[in-house]
Amino acid sequence: MTLLSIRDLKLTFRLWSGPVEVLHGISLAIGKGERVALVGESGSGKSVTARIILGLLQEQRNARISGTVEFEGRDLARLSARERMSMRGRAMSMIFQDPTSSLNPVYRIGPQFREVLDRGSPGISAAEARARAAQMLAEVSIREPDRVLDSYPFQLSGGMNQRVMIAMALANRPALLLADEPGTALDVTVQAQTLDLMRGLVADHGTAVLFISHNLGVVREFADRTYVIYRGRIVESGPTAAVFGDPRHAYTRALMAAQPRLTGGGLPDIPERDPAFDAPAIHHAAGGAA
Amino acid sequence: MILQIENISKTFETGSHRVQALDDITLAVEAGECLAIVGESGSGKSTLANIVLGLYPPGRGRLVFDGAELPDQRSLALRRAIQLVQQNPLSALNPRRSVGASLRLALDVHDIGPRAGRGARVRDLLAAVGLDPALEARAPAALSGGQRQRVAIARALACESRLIVLDEPTSALDVLVQAQVLRLLHRLRQEHGLTYLFITHDLAVVRNIATRVAVFQRGRMVELADTEALFSAPAHPYTRALISAVPVITEEEKAMRDRLGGKP
Amino acid sequence: MRRALHILAANPLTLTGAVLVLLVVLAALLADVVAPYPEHAGAVVDFLNFNKPPSAEHLFGTDLVGRDLFSRVLFAYRISLLLGVVVLVISVPVGVTLGLMAGYLGGRREYVLMRITDVFLSIPPLVLAMSIMGVLPPTLLNGMLAVTAMWWPWYTRLVYNIVRGEKVEGYVLAAEIIGASKWHIMFREILPNCVPAVVTKITLDFGFVILIVSSLSFLGLGVQPPTPDLGSMVAEGARYLPDSWWLAVFPGLAILVAVFGFNLVGDGLRDILGAEQ
Ligand SMILES: Nc1ncnc2c1ncn2[C@@H]1O[C@H](COP(=O)(O)OP(=O)(O)OP(=O)(O)O)[C@@H](O)[C@H]1O
Ligand SMILES: Nc1ncnc2c1ncn2[C@@H]1O[C@H](COP(=O)(O)OP(=O)(O)OP(=O)(O)O)[C@@H](O)[C@H]1O
Ligand SMILES: [Mg+2]
Ligand SMILES: [Mg+2]
Repeated sequence: MTLLSIRDLKLTFRLWSGPVEVLHGISLAIGKGERVALVGESGSGKSVTARIILGLLQEQRNARISGTVEFEGRDLARLSARERMSMRGRAMSMIFQDPTSSLNPVYRIGPQFREVLDRGSPGISAAEARARAAQMLAEVSIREPDRVLDSYPFQLSGGMNQRVMIAMALANRPALLLADEPGTALDVTVQAQTLDLMRGLVADHGTAVLFISHNLGVVREFADRTYVIYRGRIVESGPTAAVFGDPRHAYTRALMAAQPRLTGGGLPDIPERDPAFDAPAIHHAAGGAA
Repeated sequence: MILQIENISKTFETGSHRVQALDDITLAVEAGECLAIVGESGSGKSTLANIVLGLYPPGRGRLVFDGAELPDQRSLALRRAIQLVQQNPLSALNPRRSVGASLRLALDVHDIGPRAGRGARVRDLLAAVGLDPALEARAPAALSGGQRQRVAIARALACESRLIVLDEPTSALDVLVQAQVLRLLHRLRQEHGLTYLFITHDLAVVRNIATRVAVFQRGRMVELADTEALFSAPAHPYTRALISAVPVITEEEKAMRDRLGGKP
Repeated sequence: MRRALHILAANPLTLTGAVLVLLVVLAALLADVVAPYPEHAGAVVDFLNFNKPPSAEHLFGTDLVGRDLFSRVLFAYRISLLLGVVVLVISVPVGVTLGLMAGYLGGRREYVLMRITDVFLSIPPLVLAMSIMGVLPPTLLNGMLAVTAMWWPWYTRLVYNIVRGEKVEGYVLAAEIIGASKWHIMFREILPNCVPAVVTKITLDFGFVILIVSSLSFLGLGVQPPTPDLGSMVAEGARYLPDSWWLAVFPGLAILVAVFGFNLVGDGLRDILGAEQ
């Protein structure tokens, strides 16, 4: 069953310097309980896509959006700002790419966490919220949940803030989790634990995950299907095993080649831009993998 | 040896909670090396970087830079000697100032070179990191992620410091851009005899760019080894645990990871 | 410039506001030229024409001593805008500087500055101005002082909140590591990032200052006769409602137009400059 379906999504920012088209017609779909990865160039439009799904960019007046985004069969464009708002943090939630600027720097973690929990269970008591929050933090391998709840974001390490964001995003068991670079600031063992946690959510609650990442290794281990994006266009998509086992688009191949190897061998000199990267998109058949 | 870190400890207090962020770290940074610091999230890597940069004093221990002890309150000249490249290049550049103005600041603060020649120097710096000098007039928002990180590197070069702390400098970039930025960093280190303190979580990056590796866990340094040695025979169980959790994309890597990490 | 026009064209409300503001400003600047009876700005008496309804000679009618209301409204705009400029020219730099200091320097300075600001903010503006005016003689200068005294804390609070968010940004850290001075970091690095919000607020405030000054005059505490002031005109005229309706209605509309215009422009600027809040 399709949970989220995006068709021909275009996005233009109207800036002082003139309009800039950032997304040139993105189509993608995520089924219930599916783990879908979006990988690609820095600045290619991964985060804005997630923000559109969450309904955040619709509220920004200099953003012009066309195409359709359907969530649970409903066209997001038809929803009022209020309906979108009530969906956020409950039916769908997002792990933002930059935890330090997504958490409010002037409040401690505790009250911020309580606000999140309050969206899922309105009227939750302070004590109950704190206990739930502490438990969620422990699940993302935070060793001293109480200290973290009493801290301001600047008193925590980058990876701790990121884990706080992850715990918040998972707290209300959303139907769709938008995970924007959820592991950049985590060491690999903690990262593996957070991935397990997400897998658990998917298995137990049928949560679907849109997983945005630069880390090809993580994508390969986590995602059922993968979309590769370059300059606002999907260039390759298909079951993860197919995309990684048989990358056919020049950009995907370049990415794979540029991934540093644990076995060493230095860093290849591949240009960041190449006309071959603009070749038409390649879609692998669903095959037996998905 | 360019920097001697001697018995550094640091404790933070948050309300009624105490954290020992660093616990008796001793480490000699050799001139010209790329010393990677990897380890657990929250193990004190950034804290150590901040202490080296003089953002706050260590609780205990001392730093010796170029043979002289670094005071808690640093002179302008000492600040200039150690620079930082941050993780998020967008946040690291002032959105309301041009790229040129951000680079120029370093020259002006330290009065580097004749005033009249600073415009040209800014363009030279951009060229040195592989950017078109014409980009000096742009706002950071009008640059790609990789270009922004190159500007941040150029800013560190502007101070002509010999020791640069890099705190996860490429984790916000895609692997293609990352490869280019890492190649640039490598080239600059060779050309200018720079020393790097390179903090990262990406062991594959470490493998390909570092000369030595320090592994941190809970405020302690649990292993320090040459890169080759670490990736052929990791000594500490935590190092092995780290290696065994690295997500990889090829079968050779998988075999190596499982062999070193002690997985069946 | 052309782009600014494009944006205006795409935002009819902002355009409306801009036109209203332009009219008000022109009226204030050109009052001597445009006003049909410039001498009526002062203490003139024309008993032959007193309390006349609007007509071709007197667009807005005349007041109780026979002065042309239209002329007086134009001159009142001049006073109001002048007051607005004076109040904001003093309170914005003061408020912004204190906000930058409290937000960036932190520590005791932050605590003391923000407590003072909170005290000022907790007093309703009109009450504060009235109590100041109660102690001081009700002259125009004191009116300005009173309004200024209650205006700066809003800018301190606004800038303080922005600075607390900006302070954790990497560019501030980068400047600190390079060794830039605190002065440089506050005024050259952080301040430019406060400008959109501050400019937006200034525009909105022009409307509010006019409103507050009018309210004070309405209470007899602001601009004193014979200087024309919209607030006192409404106050006086209100006593003769509904028969001599023009006495209160036209000055009232004049206030509305100015406040409305500045608000629309402020809202538009907020979008265009991308200021938050
Ligand atoms: N609010 C905005 N106003 C103007 N341009 C924007 C805005 N947000 C994003 N952009 C631009 O849209 C493009 C896509 O940005 P986005 O953040 O989605 O990239 P991304 O794929 O997430 O990159 P990264 O991997 O670096 O996070 C970029 O060129 C960016 O500069
Ligand atoms: N200013 C501060 N006040 C209080 N505690 C702090 C402060 N800075 C750091 N800490 C604490 O010190 C510990 C080490 O933090 P640090 O940022 O050095 O970790 P890190 O190794 O860089 O982690 P990451 O890989 O997640 O970035 C953490 O427990 C953190 O909460
Ligand atoms: Mg992004
Ligand atoms: Mg860190």
